[in-house]
Parts: sequence; C-alpha cells; structure tokens
Amino acid sequence: MVIFIDYIAQGFKEAINLLISFDKEIYEIIFLSLFVSTSATIIASLIFIPLGIHLGIKDFRGKRVLSRILYTLMSTPSVVVGLLVAILLSRRGPFGYLDLMYTPKAMIIAQTLLVSPLILGLTYSLSKNRGKEIQKIGITLGASKLDIIILVTRELKIDLIVNIVTAFSRAISEVGAVMIVGGNIKNKTRVITTAISMMNSMGEYPMAIALGLVLLIISFGINSLIYSYSGED
Amino acid sequence: MEITISALKKYYGDKKILDIDGLSIEKGKITGLIGPNGSGKTTLLRIISGLDMDYAGTIKYDGSLLDEGIYKKMTLVTQKPYFFKRKVYENIEHPLKVRKVNKAVRKKKVEEIMYRFEIQDLRNKKGHLLSGGESQKVSLARALIFEPELLLLDEPTSNIDPVSIKIMEREILNFNRETKGTVLIVTHNIEQAERLCHKIIPLDGGKVVE
Ligand SMILES: Nc1ncnc2c1ncn2[C@@H]1O[C@H](COP(=O)(O)OP(=O)(O)O)[C@@H](O)[C@H]1O
Ligand SMILES: [Mg+2]
Repeated sequence: MVIFIDYIAQGFKEAINLLISFDKEIYEIIFLSLFVSTSATIIASLIFIPLGIHLGIKDFRGKRVLSRILYTLMSTPSVVVGLLVAILLSRRGPFGYLDLMYTPKAMIIAQTLLVSPLILGLTYSLSKNRGKEIQKIGITLGASKLDIIILVTRELKIDLIVNIVTAFSRAISEVGAVMIVGGNIKNKTRVITTAISMMNSMGEYPMAIALGLVLLIISFGINSLIYSYSGED
Repeated sequence: MEITISALKKYYGDKKILDIDGLSIEKGKITGLIGPNGSGKTTLLRIISGLDMDYAGTIKYDGSLLDEGIYKKMTLVTQKPYFFKRKVYENIEHPLKVRKVNKAVRKKKVEEIMYRFEIQDLRNKKGHLLSGGESQKVSLARALIFEPELLLLDEPTSNIDPVSIKIMEREILNFNRETKGTVLIVTHNIEQAERLCHKIIPLDGGKVVE
C-alpha cells in the first residue's frame, strides 16, 4: 500500500514537472483537444441554437415526439457516433474521396455530430418552457421572426451559455469518437483523452496523470466561470 | 375606418369562449370593454393582436384581413407585462429599435416619454425587477413610444396607486387626441370607462350584450 501511494506521488511530481517545464508534446496534445472540442461546440451551437429556439417557440404537431427523439439522440454513445463517421469517411465510404479519416477535421466532424443533439435538445426544451413569453412580447412590440430569435437568445443568454459549456464538457471528455476517427496518432490526432487511455495501458503514469490534471482544471475552470457569471443575473 | 369582427368563435376544447356575431370598433376612438371575470375579454384582445390565431371568423382592419403588416401597427399591453432583463430605458426603446428608428431620435423619444410618465428615476432599473405599479406604467410607455395605430389595453391600471392611474389616463387620452390612435381598453372600473371612453361594449359569457 505504502509503495502504491509512493508510486502515485512520484507520478504526480513528474506530472507537475512536465507541465511547468512546458513539455512540447503535452501542450500540443492539450491544444489539439481544445481546438477540436471548441470548434465542434461552436459549429453545433451556431446551427442548432437558432434551430432549437425556432422549434421551441413554434406550435406544430408532434412537439412531444420531437422531445423524445431528441432526448434519445442526446445520449448516443460516443463510440457509435465515431463508428458512424468512420464508415462515412472511410476509403470506400461515400465521403472517402475527401480523405479526411485520421485527421483533426474528422475529429471535429465526429464531435460536432456528438454534441449537436445535445445543443439542439437543451435549447429546444429551454425555449419551449421560457421562450413563449418572450415571443409573445416580441410579437406585440412588432418584432420580426428573426428579431424574435435574437430576442430569445439574448434573454436566455445565461442558460444558453450553460448549455454550450455542457456540450463542450461532453466533447472534451469523450474518448470513443476521437479515438475511432482520429486514431490517436502522435503529433497529429492525439488528444487528452486518447493520450490518457494509451499512456495508461503503457503504464506511463506521469504523462497520464499530467493530462488528467489538465482535463480536471479545464472542467473546473469553465464550471466556476459559469457560476460566477450566472450569479450576476 | 374601423375594425370589424364578424362570426367570431373561439373554443378551448369543447368550451365556447367567444361567440361574437358582429362588432365594430371605430377608429380614432377609445372603446371600453367591460364584463365579469372569464367573459372572454383577454381572449378577444389576444386574438386581435395576433397572439392567438386559432379561431373561426373574420377580423378586418380598414377592410383588409389581419396580417403581419397590420399586427406591426398595433400593440397589446397585457395584465402581467413581460420585461427584458435589461434596463427600463432599453425596454422602452425596444419597439423603436425593431422599427429601425435612428439612435438620436430614439433617445429623444424615450427621454420624453419617461418624463411624461414620471419614471425617469427608473431609467437604470432592470425591467424584470420592477414592482407591479411601476411595471404597468413602463409597459404603457413602451407601448406608446412607437405611436401604434391601435392600442389594446388589458386592465392597465389594476392594482396601482391613484397618482399613477391619473398619469396613465392622461397619457391614454393624450395619445388618442394627438395621434388619433384607436384604443380598446378592458377595465373593471366603470368610472374609469366613463372618464376615458367614447363607447362602452359589455361582454358576458363570450357574447356582446345588446
Ligand atoms: N389557455 C386556456 N386554456 C383553456 N381555457 C382558457 C385559456 N385561457 C382562458 N381560458 C378560459 O377562457 C375564458 C375566458 O378567459 P379570459 O378571456 O381570460 O377572460 P377575462 O379576461 O374576461 O377575465 C375563461 O373561462 C378562461 O378560464
Ligand atoms: Mg382578463
């Protein structure tokens, strides 16, 4: 037991050393993680927040069915999304000619698909509950359809930001999709989660712990940021 | 020049809420709508303003059916107004902004209307934090700022102090006099109806009482 704790402590020390010595490999991995997950979150948000608001405040048949479908899609396992994208992008797949497999672009596509239902579903249920009232006042004051979507976005800003961060957290912490379509290639498609899982299986604990720490710091960081921000409201 | 309603029927489920054979509201005049709770007054205003489009019958405005262009010329002040989570100033400014009025003109108009309603001291307060009485005044100011052709008021002065009521009545009368705007006001206060209205329409059980 004592040896084990010693071992962990040693790993920790080396992890800190790696981080403060600005080890190039580790920072490339962190940067790629942030880049891929941020890109995916931004793309999904730009498309699916306006769409979610539009569907949320619109009256149409089958609203309840849509909710159920979205909730199901929201919990799609990341490996399934990864597999789907891999099939589409593989040499013989319909988009094979784009030659995107095992590139950061493929990883962005996969994570965008992964978080899109989340963004759409969360935005949809938020504006279904709270957007109606805003739409109502928008109509009576003469706002156009576009004005109303902007209005709802602005009024529900804090909640939307929380949703975006939730999506980002899901993206940056998932391993299945980026592993399948990225392949964890050194200096090319290796991100925090795929690196941790590899280092772990190779017994390279300091690097794994260092990256795990960074992931924790990122999560805690954005979460506390949200809380301080939503407190202002 | 008028708003004509014919064969209007509105149901919630099986329950008939409104059943109006014919009714016209004269333009440029203030018309009062009175009647007991549940008689369908709010429902009628919601239908005219375009918030509720699920009804049978026709409503014409100067001879044409209601459409987006017409909805944009009218506004409804609801019983419980909603405010944006922004300053009172910005809430009042909003209708001018969506109508692309330039900033200098917007400022002048907002300042003027805040002065008339005696709400300058609320300028920087967040809209969603206003008290009941304050919100009624701000809500009317926000409605009048763009000089609508048709102003629909749903019990605009319930639960507010006499001084504020006086201000609001004065501004409703001013609006009607100066811009020739049409007003349809729901009120429970008969004296108020007599002070303000050129004509009073009693509603009961969804029907116009003859
Ligand atoms: N969304 C709704 N669903 C079902 N019934 C409603 C709804 N809104 C109003 N009603 C009913 O319609 C009737 C008329 O309501 P309303 O127009 O608000 O009356 P008033 O404003 O004259 O007090 C009432 O019986 C009310 O219960
Ligand atoms: Mg009512």
